[in-house]
Amino acid sequence: MTQIELRGVQKWFGAVQVIKDLNLTIADNEFIVLLGQSGCGKTTTLRAIAGLETIDEGDILIDGKKVQHLKCSDRDIAMVFQSFSLYPHMTVYENIAFPLRATRMAKADIDKAVREVAQVLRITDLLDRRPSALSGGDMQRVAIGRALVRRPKAMLMDEPIGALDAKLREEMRAEIKRLHVKQGSTTIYVTHDQIEAMSLADRIVIMHEGVLQQVGTPEEVYQRPTNLFVAQFVGSPVMNVADTTIRETGGEVAVAVGGTERGFPFPRELLSKLNGHAASDGIALGVRPEGVLVRLEPADGFLPVEAQLIEPLGSFDIVDLKVGKEVLRARTKSGFISGTGEKVFARIDPAQAHFFDKASGRSLGVSL
Amino acid sequence: MAHIQLKNISKSFGAQTALSRLDLDIADGEFFVLLGETGAGKTTTLRLIAGLEKPSEGQIYIDGVDVAGWSAAERDVALVLQQYSLYPRYTVRENLEFPLKPKIRRLPDAEIKERVERAARTLRIEHLLDRKVDRLSGGEMQRVSIGRAIVRKPRVFLMDEPLSALDAKLREALRTELKNLQMQLGATFLFVTHDQIEAMSMGDKVGVLHRGRIVQTGTPQEIYNNPRNTYVASFVGSPPMNLMEGRLVDGRAVMAPKTFELPLSENGSGGAGTGGAADGRPLVFGIRPEDLHLESGAPVEALVHDLENHGVQKIVTLRVGDLQLRATVPAQTAVAVDQSVRFGWNPEKVALFDKGSGLSLRHEA
Repeated sequence: MTQIELRGVQKWFGAVQVIKDLNLTIADNEFIVLLGQSGCGKTTTLRAIAGLETIDEGDILIDGKKVQHLKCSDRDIAMVFQSFSLYPHMTVYENIAFPLRATRMAKADIDKAVREVAQVLRITDLLDRRPSALSGGDMQRVAIGRALVRRPKAMLMDEPIGALDAKLREEMRAEIKRLHVKQGSTTIYVTHDQIEAMSLADRIVIMHEGVLQQVGTPEEVYQRPTNLFVAQFVGSPVMNVADTTIRETGGEVAVAVGGTERGFPFPRELLSKLNGHAASDGIALGVRPEGVLVRLEPADGFLPVEAQLIEPLGSFDIVDLKVGKEVLRARTKSGFISGTGEKVFARIDPAQAHFFDKASGRSLGVSL
Repeated sequence: MAHIQLKNISKSFGAQTALSRLDLDIADGEFFVLLGETGAGKTTTLRLIAGLEKPSEGQIYIDGVDVAGWSAAERDVALVLQQYSLYPRYTVRENLEFPLKPKIRRLPDAEIKERVERAARTLRIEHLLDRKVDRLSGGEMQRVSIGRAIVRKPRVFLMDEPLSALDAKLREALRTELKNLQMQLGATFLFVTHDQIEAMSMGDKVGVLHRGRIVQTGTPQEIYNNPRNTYVASFVGSPPMNLMEGRLVDGRAVMAPKTFELPLSENGSGGAGTGGAADGRPLVFGIRPEDLHLESGAPVEALVHDLENHGVQKIVTLRVGDLQLRATVPAQTAVAVDQSVRFGWNPEKVALFDKGSGLSLRHEA
């Protein structure tokens, strides 16, 4: 049972503020992913929770108790890093048993704990090997085993699979998730890879320049990003963002992109939901590639556009569509559009459209 | 403008064989991607063409001329690497001018100016021309490196993982830019990468390299839809193609009798049409995650082992006995971990591989 809470945490490195007024509550058993680019303060946050970094202001609470003045060894938290940091002269068994040696646990109990962890991680047959004889994935499993064996209150992981190659990373991702489901310890996981975050997290915490941008489940973050940064950071290919003009003519509402005469038709509610923003031109339209609908034949509400570059990605294609001066990327079935230069028809699915204030980047919260 | 041919190329470093009997044909004006894991021999191939290494055996032709005796400079190729290797103390303009100002054969100043400006316009770095290189972001630096290759108007562009060091969003943007650039210049590009998404999205043709040999060459669609063997099948595509061992019995794929059997189509893409010949023979069946369907009435029962949310879709890992299979389903699909589900596949899309050799039956025939 471990609940972790951050209250008004601030941290400076010299004149640079790396964490700005961070408030976050992590529930017992939750898998939280801190997501952001390098330099956004995610690792510093993790290290502050572990006690490897002091904070300048605010409180860090573990199970309701302030811990910011405790040493990291007194916080009962385990950490796994990207570099495996195993003892090269010890066997896998000794490496996993190492954290228990100092606890005066009976030999038989240690043995039991090590074998249990090894079984969970499926490394039982590697116990007698030395780290140098292991593959990257196995080394990281051992490092995770060493962290788990103590049964810590919480697990903190800093890009634990960032150094592995793509295939192995996919496998380890599933394993870490599975392990969490089984062990159920509160976990905080740091990464810059949005796919990792989407697939692992119960909730994602997105940071940018030391400021928390959004906290939410993968669905929330993907479907209702609070600002342009989150919108373009989560999802691949990135969300299309284009300047728009919203016009009303004869009761019809149209959203024009790239300075075109005709706009994409939208339901009338858009105007009331935009709440007066409609008149100004400080609005950006955001739409994910799957929200751009494409047809080969003209149809109601579809505008003629020209297909430019086509990226075949196997199970689907990403097609660049020229709309006025802008390019919108659409996701289509593979081979749907035969070639560059083809004239096709597109519309924007109002249910998948997002509207942002251009100046502040904030989402206007319109959902149709 | 150049047509590149590699004939029967082998290269060893001491006892280590990097490439063995490699044949490659890159047409003029083609965007050719060499795809492979670390150590597959991609970079060695590139360096052989550039003239930085000599083959142990075989010939390299550029436009039909054997270039064995030609130095790197004479081959007139441009190399762009993952590391930018720009001159940090020079401005962008000076970096771009550099290759045009050799001690001999120096170009006239007007011509240099014209070429630098055109390259800058193409790469949209005009506003950076007077900035020092150490003041640029990663993406800008990589554009300058490409610019330095363009100004020389080389016959061939060789690129060694130029996008690997950039972050995801920038990589996506530069992918499009590079492809557009290649179409605009109409030049021959040889692009090396370990990233199958880059290969699929940019290549006119993709060559899959494995342990120093070309396993398959084809358009991205051919490689994806009709992989030559199980290696290509599991290397291209994310998540990779599901592979399961089984036998062909009466036109059905049988992984485990009764509990795990699925129908095949007579004239399906997997070449199940070879019918009788393959009957009873140990095979590996391959199916892409998007061709597995979860349906209540479907033939096989499985347990949901893991669930990954990718926004537009979910990736479900199913467990059938000891086997794990991946299926991609729409984001709205309601499934939970440890739930029991039933699934089927699209019989038209099953690929059949020989269990021993791993070769696709279609390619074998």
